[in-house]
Amino acid sequence: MTSSTEAALKLPAWLLPAFMLALLALVGLTAWQWRNGAPVTANLLALLPEGAADPLEHAAERRMQEPLNRDLVLLVHHNDDLVASRLVGELIKSLNASGLFAQVRSSVDADLPALRRQLLDQRLALLGAKAREQLIGAPDEFVARRLQRLYSPFEGAGLVPVEQDWFGIADLAQRQLPHPGNVQPGPDGSLVAEHAGKRWHVIRAQTRGNAFDDRMPLRVDDLVVTARQRIAAQHGQLLAAGGLLYAAHSQRLARDEASMIGSISMLATLALLLALFRTPRVLLVALPVLVGALSGAAACVALFGNIHVLTLVLGASLIGVSIDFPLHYLSKSWTLQPWRSNLALRLTLPGLALALATNVIGYLALSFTPFPAMTQVAVFSAAGLLGAFACATCLLPRLLDTKLNPWPAPLGWATGWLRLQAALRARIGTPVLLGILLLFCLGGVLQVDFRDDLRQWIGRDPALEQQAQRIGQISGFQPTSQYFLVQAGSADELLSTQQALAERLDTLIAEEQLQGYLALSQLAAPEAAQRRVATALPQLLEAGRPLLALGISTEQLQAELQRMRAPTPISLDQILAGPLGEPWRPLWLGRQPDGTVAGLVSLQGLHDSAALAGLEAGLDGVRLIDRPAELNQLFAATKRKAALLKLAAAGLILGLLCIPFGWRGALRCISVPLLAALASLACLGWLGQPLTLFGLFGLLLVTAIGVDYAILMREQVGGAAVSLVGTLLAALTTWLGFGLLALSSTPAVSNFGLAVSLGLLFAFALSPWAAARQEPAP
Amino acid sequence: MKNRLRRLWLPLALLLMTTCAQAFDLQQLDAQLSEPAVVRGDFIQQKHLRALPQPLVSEGRFVLSRELGLLWLLQKPLQQDYRINDAGVALRNGEKWQPTGTQRAAAEYNKLFLAVLRGDSPALQQRFELQLSGTPNAWQLVLTPRSRLLQQIFTRILITGGATAEQVELFEAQGDSTSLSLKNLEIADELSAEERHDLIH
Repeated sequence: MTSSTEAALKLPAWLLPAFMLALLALVGLTAWQWRNGAPVTANLLALLPEGAADPLEHAAERRMQEPLNRDLVLLVHHNDDLVASRLVGELIKSLNASGLFAQVRSSVDADLPALRRQLLDQRLALLGAKAREQLIGAPDEFVARRLQRLYSPFEGAGLVPVEQDWFGIADLAQRQLPHPGNVQPGPDGSLVAEHAGKRWHVIRAQTRGNAFDDRMPLRVDDLVVTARQRIAAQHGQLLAAGGLLYAAHSQRLARDEASMIGSISMLATLALLLALFRTPRVLLVALPVLVGALSGAAACVALFGNIHVLTLVLGASLIGVSIDFPLHYLSKSWTLQPWRSNLALRLTLPGLALALATNVIGYLALSFTPFPAMTQVAVFSAAGLLGAFACATCLLPRLLDTKLNPWPAPLGWATGWLRLQAALRARIGTPVLLGILLLFCLGGVLQVDFRDDLRQWIGRDPALEQQAQRIGQISGFQPTSQYFLVQAGSADELLSTQQALAERLDTLIAEEQLQGYLALSQLAAPEAAQRRVATALPQLLEAGRPLLALGISTEQLQAELQRMRAPTPISLDQILAGPLGEPWRPLWLGRQPDGTVAGLVSLQGLHDSAALAGLEAGLDGVRLIDRPAELNQLFAATKRKAALLKLAAAGLILGLLCIPFGWRGALRCISVPLLAALASLACLGWLGQPLTLFGLFGLLLVTAIGVDYAILMREQVGGAAVSLVGTLLAALTTWLGFGLLALSSTPAVSNFGLAVSLGLLFAFALSPWAAARQEPAP
Repeated sequence: MKNRLRRLWLPLALLLMTTCAQAFDLQQLDAQLSEPAVVRGDFIQQKHLRALPQPLVSEGRFVLSRELGLLWLLQKPLQQDYRINDAGVALRNGEKWQPTGTQRAAAEYNKLFLAVLRGDSPALQQRFELQLSGTPNAWQLVLTPRSRLLQQIFTRILITGGATAEQVELFEAQGDSTSLSLKNLEIADELSAEERHDLIH
């Protein structure tokens, strides 16, 4: 290899201007992309595949997600209720003053006249199924119950005056409407929830726009923090929950970690280089890193419109990989003296190009998974590596054409390590060593937990979770991620289906598996049912005789029946439009383009999602939507797909490596990274760590990096020891980037870091085997 | 001597009267009403609906336990047993108590009802302005709702009594009113086994 490169020592002259031009274009593009502020998003959902291919499911998902993204629930407690009211007042003032919220509610400004009007006008439509049956089937009993309510001292004061509702239909309709949760209007109309003898004031706020973009979550979080301090100073308590706060937390965490890990990695790497090469000039190797990060970000923004913070965190560690290019040729300075950067580059270029090609193949294979998260990281990495490579080959050699006199010690270590390894091989033999390693791997892999959980993607904050849990307990609102989507030919059919489903849910409630639900059928009767009740009304007059004894005249009763029959059946839309319909409105998806109608049934306080399995059996058009389960399944499927893609990529790389090394050499080169990845996976198993999707991504990265090491060890430019020093340097800098990620508090990221760290260790230790046929140079 | 006494008598009496009047405050009423462990008696309830020429009259017995709640046994014109405690209102249905799904306003009203009978003035004060007059043996308490929501339902509640509450009058915003007379009151230390069973199970 070396003899062929002597002839053309110089790189083409046009390369540098071309690179500078491209760099200028890249900077210009980035500046344009960032013209309206950082196109960075923290929306976790943006990283997830849009599982619902069906537009209806998609719409349903959006409807259910909306409150999650925009709602903020605040609970205030103070032993002195008057102080609590004052604190609530101050809090509302500050929320409103912030301008972040479209709506802040802390009391029911119940418009009683409007409620009364709806109850009166729509009483037949609002009457529940059981009451309808009783009215039609047993009118005497219906009237007897009415009398009982009139005499009862406890069921007093309905909203509708008795003289407009002798038969008590509106009264009954009002009573049976469910009011889920534990939040009630308190003595002064403010929303309160009582729990364990404590009284909490409830404030619900809804932000303007989408929670996950811009600085909204952070500003809301700041507001909550300030409010909490103020309230705590007055011996009160504030609890807060909402998707916004989680978003703020993970946004902060991701940004802090990205900058912390990024800068520590950068500083440690530069310190290492300074110590080894003993000239500040060497710090210029940071240039490819910068160019790489710039290209990666620009490519992501160009392809996806923005870049996710999680990509940034993982991308920050790309620093460790892209610095490998210059390091590999710089390491030649240990033997290539006097140092000539062009010569070193020229000598290592085939190996570097091969390493780049295998890396990019590895990354791009990943972008075929259906996971936007992975696609983004893959695109970022591939583009970043290309940029870094271009910089390292076109620009850097000219800047580093200086005197290099590296610290000689590492070369001695590498020689020692190679001797040790050769001795080991001579004494025990490669097949036995391989057997031991494989046994170790088998034992570990069998213990790996392959389950994925969306929650691992979020930097968890126990304080936030605890608060959300307490708020759930206090307010009785424990929304679940599972819900039912019901599709039917008409609103009537939809209501009947929901009614049938509701009856099944009632059994779950009776079994205490479910706390409650909200279904459109609780609010509105199908129009056909309204007509049936209307036809049965005349028999109420007959049954209404006991009412006459109270001094009510037959004419009064007749007039009331007449009034009730007058309105034509009332549509679901009309009912939802009234003030009583408010809690149900989000559940109605309306008429779809295909002519059907759709509505949701939301659930509260579900203890085990398994209880819902098969509940919709036999009900036409009912779908159970369980997004977390879907996603977790998708994680598993993606992991399989990514692993297969990677194997395919390995096949491709093997083919590529056959060209310079022949099939035996290529096989040796490819088995080093594959073994390293396997051993790293086994370690995860031994350590009791799961393999998450990101962990798998880490392993795939290990195979890509490991191929580099194998190639460079195989090429042996400047001797085996020098190549091993280069590999050690590369492994160290990469580890400084990825190993630090293991410290991240986001489980997915830390799992990734751990998988990579372990894999790097094995890739480095195994790399000399790639060149085992040649004797190590002293 | 006699003169001096006579001269002293009037201010002394005045002093006594005013201290008595001042001394009978809400705290004392609370203490007085929450003292008996059990109160039993008859009730007559009259609901005056402005749309009806005659009031809806119902009668029955009641048992109030400071600890466990209230049994309300309606006997005329129909028979129905109610139980009301912190969990809400339940109707007797055969052997079982069946909770009534009470709506918000009614739940509020029921809490109020229990607070009135138990003399729980801190609970009442959260909801109403309280005005107490009279003496421990004959007092009158006027409750005016504080909130707009409650004002839309009640205008005023009037409670009179002695050792216990004896009469409750409730004026609704829509013009209806309810009066409740508690009679033949007897104070006891303990519930009967049956009453206890009814209140607990």
